[in-house]
Amino acid sequence: MAKRGRTALTVCSASFIGLGRAQQKALGSPDLPIAVVPHPFGTRSREELREIASSCADEIARLLCESVPRASKSAYEQASIARAQLIEVPDDLEEINKYFIQRRWADGLIIAPPTAERVERMLRHTRRAPEEVVAKIAPGFGAATVELIAINAVMAGCHPEYLPVLIAAAEAVATPQFHLQAIQATTNPAAVWLIVNGPIAKWLEVNSGSNCLGQGAWANATLGRALRLILQNIGGALPGEMDRATQGQPGKYTFCCAENEDASPWEPLHVERGYAVDTSTVTVVGALGTWSMNMTAKQPEEVIAMLGDTMQYPASSDYIYGGAPFVILSPQHANLFHRAGWSKAQVKEKLWEASKIRAGRSRGSEFERMATGRRAELGEIGPDTRVPITERPEHISVIVAGGPGAHSVFVPVSAHTRSVTREVVLSE
Amino acid sequence: MAGSTLVYNPVAPPPAETQASRFALDRLAGKTIGFIDNSKPNFNFLVEDLSELLVTKYGVARVVKRRKRSASQGAPDEVMRELTEQCDAVITGSGD
Repeated sequence: MAKRGRTALTVCSASFIGLGRAQQKALGSPDLPIAVVPHPFGTRSREELREIASSCADEIARLLCESVPRASKSAYEQASIARAQLIEVPDDLEEINKYFIQRRWADGLIIAPPTAERVERMLRHTRRAPEEVVAKIAPGFGAATVELIAINAVMAGCHPEYLPVLIAAAEAVATPQFHLQAIQATTNPAAVWLIVNGPIAKWLEVNSGSNCLGQGAWANATLGRALRLILQNIGGALPGEMDRATQGQPGKYTFCCAENEDASPWEPLHVERGYAVDTSTVTVVGALGTWSMNMTAKQPEEVIAMLGDTMQYPASSDYIYGGAPFVILSPQHANLFHRAGWSKAQVKEKLWEASKIRAGRSRGSEFERMATGRRAELGEIGPDTRVPITERPEHISVIVAGGPGAHSVFVPVSAHTRSVTREVVLSE
Repeated sequence: MAGSTLVYNPVAPPPAETQASRFALDRLAGKTIGFIDNSKPNFNFLVEDLSELLVTKYGVARVVKRRKRSASQGAPDEVMRELTEQCDAVITGSGD
């Protein structure tokens, strides 16, 4: 609104002032007024709300008419983005780590020092210029230059040849439909999950088999970690500041796997999305967690029913707004479905039908949010309306990953996010 | 004692300030105030109460209220256009 030449004011609950101020600064409007109300605000009684309104009305009236001398431009303006800055630190691994932790440049685990030599080695794996801006990363909208991506990748322990995957991932998270702003700043435990498809998954040894979302593979561990450092250091989402996650989740340290294309009876994710089978891609997903769905069964219908039952969580963003969740099928479950003659599209239709939830399972404000959020698509919603998890069956994404076992995984996603796939462009 | 070495700063500098962003009203009396309800629980009640107070206590001529589909999405362009055209100031919400 301020950018349209109108007076604008934000009413902010007390715990969110830091986010509000940081975002205003990042968006180039650091002096917009904020009126503060107590936190948590959403649980107050009607009478308490009247008192809050009464006590903040005077402040709002004052702020709307208050003239503030404009801060000098130099207070906010930084030197134009060109190359990253080299800094002198003690030549000692522990001291360097202390230096980075004190400045909140690390994630809590030991980092590899981003020396000029290591960064230079990584930059050889792209044709793009070091100062080229790949994307602006919300919520701080820092410019992700190729060089800054490489610096954070070095810190995470990535091998130099991983760089193109991270350049593609940075492009993908900044795509509007990914809705990175909300993923980074939400109180939800939103992490960004990387799915690698195509030949690069094998070249880089990205694990797609047993324990592919667990520990043990260098590529999985460091690629996911590098993206987290990019989101924090370039996007500015520091925990407790612009990253408002109530608890977060372990996937915010690292969250990366490849699809097990060899074990899948169907076309892989990137082919479904229009890429050639021999093209390498990375897909970013705004994941709220992983939920194991274990069942040894001979009848595919039984497994579908179990998956559909498990996906139902009345207060989830998927049901409230119409989501785009993922299901990771174990090779065992995928092949059970395939032997029944089902295509991947048919599996999605069956999951969509089996996971419909009775709206009445949502209570109070959650029912109201669902009724509002899905009205345009479903019309008036009553307690007995059966609400699908997504607007259409094809909005459920299905991949095959993991090793032997009867476990598939449900991955709910953050509100309004849509996963994004980008080609990984190799330097030669 | 360890010598020194050079490493890169991994943090992106904040974007440069882009424009003046604060426009003060000379007074509230006779003005039109817009609200963008962020659709978080209870914010609709705050909008209701503040609207009443702005009119009765400060002489605001008119209040225009619009509600977003959800807190995490921006207001649609047509709502932004409408509020820009009709209002002297707009109040939004953030937080829980």
